[in-house]
Amino acid sequence: MEVAGRKVAIVGMGGAFPACKDITMFEQNLFAGESLIRTWEETKAFGKNIRSNVSGYISEQEMDLEAIYSTLIEGYPETYIDHLGRIPDANLATADVGSIWAMLGSQDAIKMAGWNTAEVHSAQTGVVMGSGSAGNTVLRTAWNSFYEKGQKTRLAGSHAVDRSMVYREAANVSCLIKNRGVCEAIGSACATGLGNIGYAYRLIKYGIQDRILAGGIEATSLESFIGFDAMQVLSKGFSPAESSRPFDVDRNGFVCSFGCGIIALEEYEMAKARGAKILAVIDNYFNNSDGDGNMFFPSFAGQKRLWEGLLAGHVIKPEVVKVHGTSTPAGDAIELLSVVDVMGESGYHISAPKSQLGHMLGAAGAVELITAVLMLEQQKVLPCLNSNNFNQELEPFQNTPDWDGPMNPINHYKHLISSQTVEKEINQIVCLNYGFGGTNSAMSISKHD
Amino acid sequence: MERTEILAGLVEILKTVRMIDQDKLAFITEDTDFIADLKTPSTEMINIAAKAEQKFDIEFDDDDIDDLGSKVKDIIDLIVATKERD
Repeated sequence: MEVAGRKVAIVGMGGAFPACKDITMFEQNLFAGESLIRTWEETKAFGKNIRSNVSGYISEQEMDLEAIYSTLIEGYPETYIDHLGRIPDANLATADVGSIWAMLGSQDAIKMAGWNTAEVHSAQTGVVMGSGSAGNTVLRTAWNSFYEKGQKTRLAGSHAVDRSMVYREAANVSCLIKNRGVCEAIGSACATGLGNIGYAYRLIKYGIQDRILAGGIEATSLESFIGFDAMQVLSKGFSPAESSRPFDVDRNGFVCSFGCGIIALEEYEMAKARGAKILAVIDNYFNNSDGDGNMFFPSFAGQKRLWEGLLAGHVIKPEVVKVHGTSTPAGDAIELLSVVDVMGESGYHISAPKSQLGHMLGAAGAVELITAVLMLEQQKVLPCLNSNNFNQELEPFQNTPDWDGPMNPINHYKHLISSQTVEKEINQIVCLNYGFGGTNSAMSISKHD
Repeated sequence: MERTEILAGLVEILKTVRMIDQDKLAFITEDTDFIADLKTPSTEMINIAAKAEQKFDIEFDDDDIDDLGSKVKDIIDLIVATKERD
């Protein structure tokens, strides 16, 4: 149960961002209206066996990391070197690339939060973060050694498990910072990032923890990329910067990207008492399931119920709705109509950061929450790139007998979405993310007075 | 193969194990204890054993690895015994 009067503040942020050396550069590039999506040369080595070649990826070199490959298994990263000396070798030995990003992001978030060693080591400090990944190089090459090459299991060494287990990022961060509170990972596909932060919010709100590092991670992984490529759901036929185009009539899929977003959460009164810079306050978090038995197709009814749950008992009237906005044909249309159904046709803007980032899968919700905090700080709505032309006809599902939503083509709501940065007063932002399996997450954050 | 030659080979392996204090490798002897002296995490012993198999072109029995002691001389003894057996 919620503890009356207990609130949760966002006091720190960090992470890994495509083509950006740090969060400052990330912020600059976002508000300059730049796309972080590039041609991913690694995919081209596979010729016609792979359909998409664009991604918001992050290379090891860009993170000042270098893989040390095993002499026992070809292509098996035995460990990594951190050329900037930020992470001790003992921690690098148990980490895959995503876990290293999570540790680096956590260091930055702790520094921004201003937590001291006693606070970090406290039993009231937790780590709640995860990824939505479908595999990585560690697992693939270790399995290949055993199954295809018939080699002994011990050639993979002692770190195949800790570098591929479900909550590897949380475990590695916890071992690095030596907190004594909870250490867990929530998995909810592309809602994972926001889901972990929402769960962490509840742990603090319910009085179970006082501060938590929370977030989502999706390490650069061709193993994950090819699964979506196989589904033919990735954008095709555009230049990299034009590939992610939420709501645009010519959109034909999402851009599979990678990244990491870590948020430092703290009980509001504690943060205020120690003079912390409060970046934002979380108003509420709510999550639910579609309940229609459909793994993939978004649900208008599920999203309406999501909003009802978020709004119940709270004053939430955001100037910006940060949508999931993947650039997929059905997903964007249903989401836009569900937002309009709840929020009306005016008085707010819709922001879709995936137009600049691509879709970071398990990291999406966390990195996009960071973009929302930055919008609150800058008092600017990020541009929705490539959202040029909207469908002027009704969507096919709007013509079905069961449809009970808005009966205008989505072009009717084009004024809510700007392809340019918009300066305006922003006091509150609602963030939305959804995932395969019909899982939906929503969080409202407000500017701190 | 002489034991000193095996020891030198082991040092080459240990140089690739980044969790070991590399400065201590200059003073390694057969009595050095991987865990107590070199502060090698016990989980790394399997990596060292697997790399020793590759370097000395041998294959340990699983039971021998299970029973392997933590001193340098223990693994040298095992390498010698395995080479004689093979």
